[in-house]
Amino acid sequence: MATDDVPNEAGPYVYDIKAAPNRQVEMPKTVPLPSLKIYLAEQAAAVVAEEAKWQKSLADFETAKAKAEAEGKPAPKPPVRPVPKPDTNDMKFPAPAPATDPDLLHLQEVLGPKVEEIFQQAGELTCQVKKESILEALALVRDDAALGYEMLADETATHYPAAQGFAFSVVYHLTSIRRSKRLRLRILIPEGFEPETAVPLYPTANWLEREIWDMLGIRFQHHPDMTRILCPEDWEGHALRKEYPTLGLGQRDIDFREDRSGVLMRIAMEKAGNMGINLNPPRAE
Amino acid sequence: MFKNEEMEINMGPQHPSTHGVLRLKLRLDGEVVKHCRPVIGYLHRGVEKICENKTFFQGQVWTDRMDYTSAVANNLGWAEAVEKLFGITVPRRAQYIRTMLNEYNRLASHLIWLATHALDIGAMTVFLYTFREREAILDMFEAFCGARLTTTAFRIGGLREDLPPGFEKMARTFQARFLDCIDEYETLLTENRIWKKRTIGVGMLKAEDAIAMGVTGPVLRAAGVPYDIRKAFPYAAYAEMDFEVPTRPEADTYARYLVRLAEMRQSHRIIDQCLGGLPEGPVMAKLPKILRAEVNEVYHPTECPKGELGYYLVGEKGSTNPYRFHVRAPGFINLQALPMMIEGSLVADVIATIGTLDVVLGEIDR
Repeated sequence: MATDDVPNEAGPYVYDIKAAPNRQVEMPKTVPLPSLKIYLAEQAAAVVAEEAKWQKSLADFETAKAKAEAEGKPAPKPPVRPVPKPDTNDMKFPAPAPATDPDLLHLQEVLGPKVEEIFQQAGELTCQVKKESILEALALVRDDAALGYEMLADETATHYPAAQGFAFSVVYHLTSIRRSKRLRLRILIPEGFEPETAVPLYPTANWLEREIWDMLGIRFQHHPDMTRILCPEDWEGHALRKEYPTLGLGQRDIDFREDRSGVLMRIAMEKAGNMGINLNPPRAE
Repeated sequence: MFKNEEMEINMGPQHPSTHGVLRLKLRLDGEVVKHCRPVIGYLHRGVEKICENKTFFQGQVWTDRMDYTSAVANNLGWAEAVEKLFGITVPRRAQYIRTMLNEYNRLASHLIWLATHALDIGAMTVFLYTFREREAILDMFEAFCGARLTTTAFRIGGLREDLPPGFEKMARTFQARFLDCIDEYETLLTENRIWKKRTIGVGMLKAEDAIAMGVTGPVLRAAGVPYDIRKAFPYAAYAEMDFEVPTRPEADTYARYLVRLAEMRQSHRIIDQCLGGLPEGPVMAKLPKILRAEVNEVYHPTECPKGELGYYLVGEKGSTNPYRFHVRAPGFINLQALPMMIEGSLVADVIATIGTLDVVLGEIDR
C-alpha cells in the first residue's frame, strides 16, 4: 500500500506550523473592559467628533457657495444635520450607569480609596478594587452584617493583551442567599502579578483558581494546591490566553513506525493537507 | 502476615458508575476511605475557547455538548445570557414555551439521575420505568426542534418556530399520567429497606459546609437551604409561576432523593401552568440580522437540574463573537465537595455519593 511519496523508514516528522492557517492568531486590538469611566470618556469623544464633522461640512458648504457665486453657477444645497434613525429593534444596549445601590455605596464608604470604581450595568453591580486589597474586600463582603455575601458563585479571569498597565481582569461573582443579591468584585493585574488566594475565605475558590492557573496562567499566592486541573501537568501554554492558537499546540505525535502498510500515514497526510499542515519530512540536503 | 498499611487505589477513569470519565484517587484503610482526590479533565474539549471563536448564534450548539442530559437548560442559559448582554426583550409567548421546555428537561434529567443512581446502588428495575417516561419527553423535544439530545432549542431573541401541531396533545397526555409514574417509582424505592440502608446517613453535607463549598441545586436544598434561582433571581417566565421549593433538613443521600422527587412534582405543576396560560403573540423578537456587541459583561445564573449554571460573557465593541466566555458548571463546583462527603465512609458509599451528586463529566471538563 505504501506509495512512493511516503517514506517507509522511521524518522522525525516536522510540523510546518507556519503553513497552517489556523495557527495565525489575530490578536485583539481593543480593550473591552466594561467601565463607567471609559464609557463616559468614549461618549464625550464621540460627541466632540460628531460636532467637528458637522462644523467641517458647514465650512465646506461656505467655500463651495463662495466658489459657485464667483463662477456664476447656482448655489449648492446647504448641508442637513443627520438625525439618528429611530431603532425599531427589540434591543436596547444596557449602558453602564453610576452606582445607586446601597451595597456599592457601603463598600465605597468602608474601603475608601481602595475602591477604584463602582458602577451598575445590565442590572449587575460591579466594584473594582485595588489588586492588593482584594482579600480585605472579600472578607468585608462576607462578614459585614449589611452585606453578607456568603457564597462565591464564580471566579474567573479575562486576558486583555492590548491593554496598557494591566494584562488580566480577575472577577469574583458573589451571591447572598439570605438577601437574594449578587455582586461582582474585580481586580486588574499586570502580567506576572500573583493575587492572594480566596481559599481561606471561600473554599470554593480552590478549584476555580486552579482552573484560572490552568487556562490563563495566573498564579495565586498561598493557594494550597496550585496545580493544573483540566489539562495534564506537563501541558505547555495556557489555552484561554488570546495568543494561544485554536489548532496546533499539543498535537500528538503519532508513531508511524508501527504503521507497516502506510495506511495510517496516508490518511494523516491527507487530513493534514486539508488543514494546511505540511507533514512531509524535510528533504535531505 | 497481617498488614495494616494504607492502600492507594484508583477508582476510574473507566468505572461504570462514575458517569463519565472521572478518576478518584482513594487512600483506603481497609474498607474506609481516608483520603480522596478527584482527577478530572479527561473530557476537556476547550468549549470556552471554541465559543470565543464562534458567533453568538453558533455558541449555543456547544452548550448542548456540555451537560448532555440537560441540553435545553444549557441552551436557555446561553440564550438568556446573550440577551442580557445585548439588552434584548423576548416575547412573552416565547418565555412561556422556554419555561415549559426547561421544566421538561428538568424531568428528563432527574429521571436519568434516578435511573443511574438506583442502578449504581443495585436497583435495576427503576431504570426501566424511568426511561419509559424520559422517552416520551425526548419525543416532545424531537417534535419541537428535531433533535432528542443535542437540541439547540432556542434562538437569541426567542424561538425559531412556534410549538408544532400536536405538541399540546402530547404534552397533555404526558401530564395526565406523570404523577402516577412518580408514585410508581416511590413504591419501588421510598420504603425499600435496602434502599434506605444504602442512602440514609450516607454522604452527609451540612448546610454551612455546602454554602462554603459553593454547592447549589438539590444537594443544597436537601441540607435545608431553600435557595432556588428560579425564586431568588427569576428568569424566563418563572416570576409568574406558582410553585414551591422543596427542602429537607437531613442533608444525606436519602434526603436528596426525596427533594428531587418533590422537585419533579413541582416541575409537573409549572408545566401545567405554562400549558394552561400560554399567551398569544409572536415568538421571536425583532432583531438585526447580525448581532454586534457593545462593551459589556454579564454573569447570568440559571437553575439547571444540577444546580446553578452561570454563563459569564464579555462583549467587545463591534464584534460578533464573545470576547470571553466562561461557564460556571454546577457539576464542577459540586464535585469539589465530594472528598468532604466521603472521607471516613466506606468504599461502597463512594458510589452512592457520586450518584447523588448527579455529576455529568461533559460539563465538568467542558
